[in-house]
Amino acid sequence: MGLSLQILLPFFGGLAVLFAPRFGRDMERWGTVAVMALTLVVLLYSVVNGDSGRWLAFTRIDWAPSFGIQVLLAMDGLSAAMLAISAGLGIVCVFVSWHVTHRSAMYHAVICWTIATANGVFLSFDLLVFAFFWELMIVPAFLLIGLWGHGQRESAAMKFLVFNAVAGLGLLAAVFWMGATAPEITFDAFVLAESDYATWVQVLLLLGFALAFMVKLPVPPFHAWLPDAHTQAPTAGSILLAGLLLKTGAYGLFRFPPLLFPDGLMALAPYGMALGAFGVLYGAILACGQFDAKRLIAYTSISHMSIVLMGVCGGVHFALAGAGVEMVAHAFSSSALFLLIGALQQRTGTRDLRDLGGLQKTAPAFATSFAVFFAAALAMPGTANFLGEALVITGMFQVNWAFAAIALLSLIVSVLYATRLIGAIVFGKPKAATATFEDLKPHELWPIIALGAGTLFFGLFPQTLVGWLRPAVDAALLPLGVGAP
Amino acid sequence: MLAYFLLLVPLPPLGGFLLLALDPYRLERRAVMAVALAAGIAPLVLFLPVALGYFAGSIGDTIAPAFTLNFGQFEVALAMQLDALSAIAALTVTVVASCVMIYAADYMASARVADLRRFFALMNLFLAGMLSVVMAADSIVFFLGWELMGLCSFFLISYNMNSPRAFAAGRKAFVMTRIADAALLAGLLLLFLEATSVRIADLIPAGLAAPEQRAVVIAVLLLVGALGKSAQLPFQTWLPTAMAGPTPVSALLHSATMVAAGAILLIRFAPLIEAHPGVAAATAIAGVATAVFGALCAVAQTDIKRLLAYSSISQIGFMLLAVGMGAPGVAMAHFVVHALFKSLLFMSAGVLSHASGGTTEIRRLRGSAYAAPISFATYVVGAAALAGFPILSAGWWSKEAVLGAAVMAGPFGQFLWLVALGSAALTGVYAYRPVWSALRSPVEPLPAIKENWLAVGPLIFLATASVLGSFLVGPIVRTMGGTVPHAGLGVEVMGALAAIAGLIGSVVVSFSPVWSARIKRARRLRAGMQMDAIYYAFLVRPYRRVVHKLSGRNARKDTSHEAETDRTDGGMGDPVGTATVNLGLWLARVVTAPFVPDRFDLVTMRSTREVRRAGVWARRLQTGRLRTYVMAIAFGLGVLVILGWGMTWG
Repeated sequence: MGLSLQILLPFFGGLAVLFAPRFGRDMERWGTVAVMALTLVVLLYSVVNGDSGRWLAFTRIDWAPSFGIQVLLAMDGLSAAMLAISAGLGIVCVFVSWHVTHRSAMYHAVICWTIATANGVFLSFDLLVFAFFWELMIVPAFLLIGLWGHGQRESAAMKFLVFNAVAGLGLLAAVFWMGATAPEITFDAFVLAESDYATWVQVLLLLGFALAFMVKLPVPPFHAWLPDAHTQAPTAGSILLAGLLLKTGAYGLFRFPPLLFPDGLMALAPYGMALGAFGVLYGAILACGQFDAKRLIAYTSISHMSIVLMGVCGGVHFALAGAGVEMVAHAFSSSALFLLIGALQQRTGTRDLRDLGGLQKTAPAFATSFAVFFAAALAMPGTANFLGEALVITGMFQVNWAFAAIALLSLIVSVLYATRLIGAIVFGKPKAATATFEDLKPHELWPIIALGAGTLFFGLFPQTLVGWLRPAVDAALLPLGVGAP
Repeated sequence: MLAYFLLLVPLPPLGGFLLLALDPYRLERRAVMAVALAAGIAPLVLFLPVALGYFAGSIGDTIAPAFTLNFGQFEVALAMQLDALSAIAALTVTVVASCVMIYAADYMASARVADLRRFFALMNLFLAGMLSVVMAADSIVFFLGWELMGLCSFFLISYNMNSPRAFAAGRKAFVMTRIADAALLAGLLLLFLEATSVRIADLIPAGLAAPEQRAVVIAVLLLVGALGKSAQLPFQTWLPTAMAGPTPVSALLHSATMVAAGAILLIRFAPLIEAHPGVAAATAIAGVATAVFGALCAVAQTDIKRLLAYSSISQIGFMLLAVGMGAPGVAMAHFVVHALFKSLLFMSAGVLSHASGGTTEIRRLRGSAYAAPISFATYVVGAAALAGFPILSAGWWSKEAVLGAAVMAGPFGQFLWLVALGSAALTGVYAYRPVWSALRSPVEPLPAIKENWLAVGPLIFLATASVLGSFLVGPIVRTMGGTVPHAGLGVEVMGALAAIAGLIGSVVVSFSPVWSARIKRARRLRAGMQMDAIYYAFLVRPYRRVVHKLSGRNARKDTSHEAETDRTDGGMGDPVGTATVNLGLWLARVVTAPFVPDRFDLVTMRSTREVRRAGVWARRLQTGRLRTYVMAIAFGLGVLVILGWGMTWG
């Protein structure tokens, strides 16, 4: 029951938020904060009172027994980390959207529902329910982009919808096939994991799953929706996209292929790593060519999430742990960057790097915050981003030196795009758009401080994070026949 | 107990950085200075007793574990250590840093408070990073400090935020060193996989025990890391441009400490380098080649800061030569002596150029010797140390030790010795040039400047140290576990002759009109053999072409920060993404062709009809029906969930 609250609270909270404006000004905002805070408290409670075994918490409720559908929720450290991020980012989203007045109640409700559906993805182990949440998750995000986005929001939202919905079909088809061919109809991932598919069947099924996950991740060539979605989405939309929705793809890759299709994963892993290696460089190089600040960060996301793909396909302890750390680190650093760029756009009306500059003079707090996440973007040691990348590279050295070399190249290219970004925004003389620039206000500064503290804390004291992720990493490696180092 | 004392050493600058960077108390100018100086000098105060105790033998090698990282089945203990290298290097760094900080308090006095805060925050962060590098007992702390130095270097070179040139210089330095850092990281990670430990004491035996091929790869990667940070060939191009930073930055980062950290890295991992004759030879060759290259370029410089930058490159080349010749202790001695006289040179040059109206051009320093006599005197002492003035200067003793080590390393070493001797002679040629220029009578008399004790105090101290440092060379080499090489009187005489030849050469070059004209004409040499242009043509421009091709912009000649004026983002860009979209559109067309008479464009909605339809749809969304739509979804979901619960309870 405790786990289902992680989905039900934000969901019904979202419904309640719709009616919140009747009770006073800004009530929808504080209401959303309250819902998210409550979700966090419940999460904390279930983590603290968690079991010591494989799962911190486990819920199994029959839903439609005759179809083999059940609500099967399980949480380990990885899910807990993702749930904490989703509720935390929910609060951040409220504070960065303080200027949103257009249909404010609906806006906040949609944020709550994005989080509810994403939490469903992070918890479900009944594959049909998982696929259900997976598809459902597209809707609120689609609305967020399509209704509250910038200039070309409709086409960006449509692109997002089509890409993700079509990719979701692969997942759905694979899930249906698996459930239907099981001796006794079931969608229980743990039961299906026992079934003995031939390798080629596993490969086919894995391709179906991987299509959905890789589009969401996204890794080239499935990434075309992301730069548009990011640029057109409102700030909160970008934060949820980068911090949460991309992570569902990474989470799916982390969780299901090793559990369900170990042989298929072994067969496809080299191609996955190659695709990841390509994406790492492709995203980074394209980031160097962008003039739109949000688009630039979107391409860096593609690069960083490709590192996660490499790590997951690496199939060794370090690589998987690195992928997990990178997921968390990227959630922190990219949301913070989108927050900052959002603040910038709201004040100056532009995201074009050529119109910006000189914020070091006019907005010292903004400049300092930007410098911190600049360091995170280029994987400075001491940030969680470095830990993630270094672990993945270590793992790659165990698997294939060529992939390690490519991942190392990304460290160099990251300096190019990161300096480009900070050079155009913080350095230089103030331009027309940035001559009068109001520095970050407390409601923007506190989320930044929280995100920065997280980035540095997990970078400098990684054992907490690595410890949380460890059961998930071990469980993912077990079917692959890989022991601990 | 003492062990934990070690951990305190890098903390004051770190605290100073946080205090100045976050600035919760809105510090005033004097408070900023006070915090900066206190934080910058505290490491010296803390470390001095430890170091003295170590040298006196009352304290042995110590490892101070900071905290333990638990990666499941193996643990990583982060730690600082006290051994010969860290004692000597940390003491040098703290001494030089204290001097530079005091000097900077005077030098930066006229800066805006906000800039002052930023400057000292970064200087303190740098100091914390450098101390972590020299005191690290494990590769994680080492690399953390190593990268922190690079980051601070970037921000400090581009300290002048208004100057696109300064930014470009900082960016160049950052990128060039990061290339080498990636190699270093690879080397450290491979060592970690060999040892399953990050303790440097474990890494070295593991690296020695590794299979031959892998061990060579590791050694080469470490060497590349050192070459990048130390601006050795072929990475040397970033250092001369880095002189865009303020003088204290050049004095601390880009001569005495950070740039020499490459040598520290090689000294730390010297057993791995020495285990492979090929790698050791490569180290020595890189060192000697850079020593000659740097000296040649320095001779052709007309800017005193760039001259000193090339001299740093050249001197660090000598340290690499010593490591390659199997004498890391000698390299350490040269590191210490070089740190003392090079920071002295930069800071004196800063005062001299201030005295001559803020120019850094050597020929415009005329008369500054009379306007700022104390600083001029200290500059002369520094130049003598750089040029290795026989017997009297510390530079001569440490350089002789390096040359002696080369001579004693066999025929190959003797060949390198001969080349290095040429470089030593050239050092004299350029080192004294600013001296002669400053001594000339000015075109119009320069007003004498007030040589503030804040500025001059450190200069006098460092000048004294540059002379008395002669007595440190032997003890340093012995503390490092080596012996001072004595290659015979002949070799020493040759070294002395080279130094004197350099002195004479500098007189010729400075006063003979023919030679002055030749130097003025040596444009290619002045531009560092045009290595920048070569890198631009073969690395930067091709890379930019790729970026432009992929992001769908027309290739332009220059898209550096200041030149981005082209506003037309022509073309689609992102060919891979576009291909996917087009493939999808094509599939959609094929699938829908039997059902839809006219072709419609599912994703981008290119056809006008679809756009109109989308407009109608979007308008509907905004007339309030959307609410119903969302409510319907939400309601449906709610019903499903509740139904589910109902079934369970039922």
